[in-house]
Amino acid sequence: MGTRILTVEDDERIRQAVRLALEDEGWNVDEADTGETALDRFRERAADVVLIDIMLPGMDGFEVCRSIRRASDVPIIMVTARNDTHDVVAGLEAGADDYLTKPFAPKELSARIRALLRRVRSSDGGSMERIAVGDLEISPEEGVVFKAGEELHLTKTEFKLLVELASQPGKVFSREVLLERVWGYDYFGDGRLVDVHVRRLRTKVESDPASPRYVVTSRGLGYKLQP
Amino acid sequence: MTRRPRLGLRARITAIFALGALLVSSTVAFAGFALVRREILADFETTARAQLFRNALQVRQDLQNQPADAIEAALGEPDENPNEEGTGLDLDLILGDLLKPNSATELLVLQDQPRSSRGLQLREVPSDVQEIVKAGGAGARRAVILGQPRLVIGVFIAQLGAEYYESVSLQPLQDTLDRLRNTLVAVALGAGAAGAFLGYYSARRALQPVTRVSNAALAIAAGDFQTRLDPTVDPDLAPLTTSFNDMVGALRARIERDERFASDVSHELRSPLMTLAASIGVLEHRRSELPAPAQQAVDLLGKDLRRFTRLVEDLLEISRMDVGAVEADMAPVVLVEFLQFAVLHSSASEVPVVYDEADAELLVMADKRRLAQVIQNLLDNATKYGGGAVSVSFSRTGTHVRIAVDDDGPGVPSADRERIFDRFTRAGTDAGRRDIAKGVGLGLSLVAEHVRLHDGRVWVTDRPHGLTGARFIVELPIGDPSQFGEELFA
Repeated sequence: MGTRILTVEDDERIRQAVRLALEDEGWNVDEADTGETALDRFRERAADVVLIDIMLPGMDGFEVCRSIRRASDVPIIMVTARNDTHDVVAGLEAGADDYLTKPFAPKELSARIRALLRRVRSSDGGSMERIAVGDLEISPEEGVVFKAGEELHLTKTEFKLLVELASQPGKVFSREVLLERVWGYDYFGDGRLVDVHVRRLRTKVESDPASPRYVVTSRGLGYKLQP
Repeated sequence: MTRRPRLGLRARITAIFALGALLVSSTVAFAGFALVRREILADFETTARAQLFRNALQVRQDLQNQPADAIEAALGEPDENPNEEGTGLDLDLILGDLLKPNSATELLVLQDQPRSSRGLQLREVPSDVQEIVKAGGAGARRAVILGQPRLVIGVFIAQLGAEYYESVSLQPLQDTLDRLRNTLVAVALGAGAAGAFLGYYSARRALQPVTRVSNAALAIAAGDFQTRLDPTVDPDLAPLTTSFNDMVGALRARIERDERFASDVSHELRSPLMTLAASIGVLEHRRSELPAPAQQAVDLLGKDLRRFTRLVEDLLEISRMDVGAVEADMAPVVLVEFLQFAVLHSSASEVPVVYDEADAELLVMADKRRLAQVIQNLLDNATKYGGGAVSVSFSRTGTHVRIAVDDDGPGVPSADRERIFDRFTRAGTDAGRRDIAKGVGLGLSLVAEHVRLHDGRVWVTDRPHGLTGARFIVELPIGDPSQFGEELFA
C-alpha cells in the first residue's frame, strides 16, 4: 500500500491543484474541505501525512491539528497564509511538525513530506544504544522514552529531536544544526520550528517545564541535553 | 518652526504667579508705607509745632515779666557763655522750664545773637528755616544733625525780636518706620512665595489632564489601543477627554480595518497564486513530456509566476508594515553562520563572506526571517543592477554591527542614494527604464523597512579603496543576546 496524504483545504481549486501535484509524486490523496470532515476521514482511514490549512470555515486548522494530535502522532504540516510569528507558532504549538506559507511550490511540499516520512521510518535505523540521562531512558531503536520507568508519548519529530540532543549529552546544538538533522532538509532561517518543538518536548520530559532540567537553552546559541 | 520656550509651561505659570503676587503685594506695601510715613510725620510735625508755639509763648511771657533793663543789659553784652551764671536775667533758666520731649534741644536768638542754647547750635539750623523765621513766620524742616534725623522748627517772637528754635529727634519715629518697612518687605516676599506655590500647585492641577493625555498618548503609541482617558465631570475638560477617546477609537477602528483589509487582500491574492503554483509545478514536473513550444511557455509561466508571487509577498509585507501590524521576532543570531547560510541559499551562493576572525562568534539580536530577506534582497539587487555581488562582509563598530554587500557594477550616483530605497524606484533614473524586465523595485524599500524594524540603518556608498561599484551597508544594533533566555519559551 502506498503513502496516503490527507489534505484539508476549503478552496476547491487549490485542493485540486495540490491533489494533482501530490498524485504526480505517486502518493495517494484523501481530501477534506472542513475540519469536521477531515476528522471523519482520518478516523476512517489513517494517513501517513496530514496537510492542514489554518483558515477553515467552522472548526479552524489549529483545532483540527489538536484533535488529530490527541489521537495520533502522525506527521502534520500546517499551511499558513502569513509568515507571521503568531500563526506559525500557534500552528506548531497545536502540534504541527512543520509549516508552509501559501503560495508554495509543489516541489517544496514534496520535499517536506519526504523529510517527514523519512523521520517516521528512521526510527528503525541506526545502531544507537539505549541512552540514560537522569531518570530519562531513551531507546532509539524501539523509538520509546521512559521517564522514571514510565513511557512518554512523543511525536516522531519530538523523539528525533530528543535523540539528536542525546547523541552527545552536554553538547550545544545550534538551531541550524537541529533543523538540518531533525527536519532533514536545509531549511534556512526559521528557528521557531526548533524553539516550539523544544518547548513541546519540555512539557513532556521535564518535571517542571518552566525551569528545565534536561533540555537547556545555552545562552541563546542553541540547546543541549544536560547530562 | 516653533521656537521651543526655555521654560516649561509649569515653570512659566509658577513664575507668573510669583511675579504677580510680588508685584501686587509690594505695590500695596509700598503705597501703604508711604501713606503711613507721611501721616506719622505730619502728625509728629503738628504736635511739634503746637509744642513750639506753646514754648515760644512761654518764653515771650517769661521775658516780658523781666524788668526791661535786665533785658537791655543782657542784650548789651552778648552772652559769650550762655551756660554760665550771669546777670540777673538767666535766659537758660527760662529755656530749662519749658515743656518738651527728652530729646528736644532749644535755641533762643535775640537780635540775631544766639543767647541761650540747650544743645542746639544756630549753624545746625537749616538756613531756609532761619530765613522763614527771620521774615516773621514759622518754619519746619527735617534735617540730619550729628548723624541723627531731627525735626528743626522755629518761630519768630515779634514782641522781642527773638527767634526761637527747637529740634526734636526723629529717631524713634525712624525706628518705627524701619520696623514697619521691614515687616512690609517680609510680607511682600512672603506673598511672592505664596504666589509661586499657588502658581506651581494650580499649574500642576491645571496640567494634570495634559499629563494624563500625554501618558495615554504614549501608551497608544506603544500599541496599547485599549487605553482611554477616564471620563470627567469637569465641564472644561470633558470635550478634551471625549474627543481624545473618540480619536483613539477612530484610530483603532482604522488600524483594525486596514489590518483586516491587508489580511483579506492577502488571502484573496494567495489563494489563486497557490492554485497557479501547484498547477505549474505539475506542468514543470512533466516538462519533458511537452512539445517544445509548450515547454517554453511553461518556463515563461513559471518564471513570471515566481516573480509575481515575490511581488505580492513584498507588497503584502510592506502594507502590513505600513499598518503597523508587525513585530520583529528577535532572537540571538550567530552572524557568521547566518550570513554564510543566507548567501548559500541566495541567488548568489558563490559570494564569499568576509569577516575578522575576532568576530567569528559574534551574536546579534535579529529577526532571522527579515534579516535573511534583507541579505537576499541586497544580493538580488547586486545581481540585477550591480553586475553581481562580490562580497558580503561585516565588522563591529562599538554597539553596532555593519554588514556590507559590495558589487562591481557602475555604482549609485549620489543623487539617487536616498531615492533608491523608495518604493518602485530602480537604479539609474534613465538607464533603469531599459531594465524593466529585471524586476520591480520593492526589494530595497523592503530592506529599508526591515532594517528600520531592527532600529538599524541602511545606506549606499561607493565601494572603498577606489574600486568601482556600490557598497550597501546595513547597520544593526548588536543588542544583548544574553538577555534572551528561557523566559521566552518557558
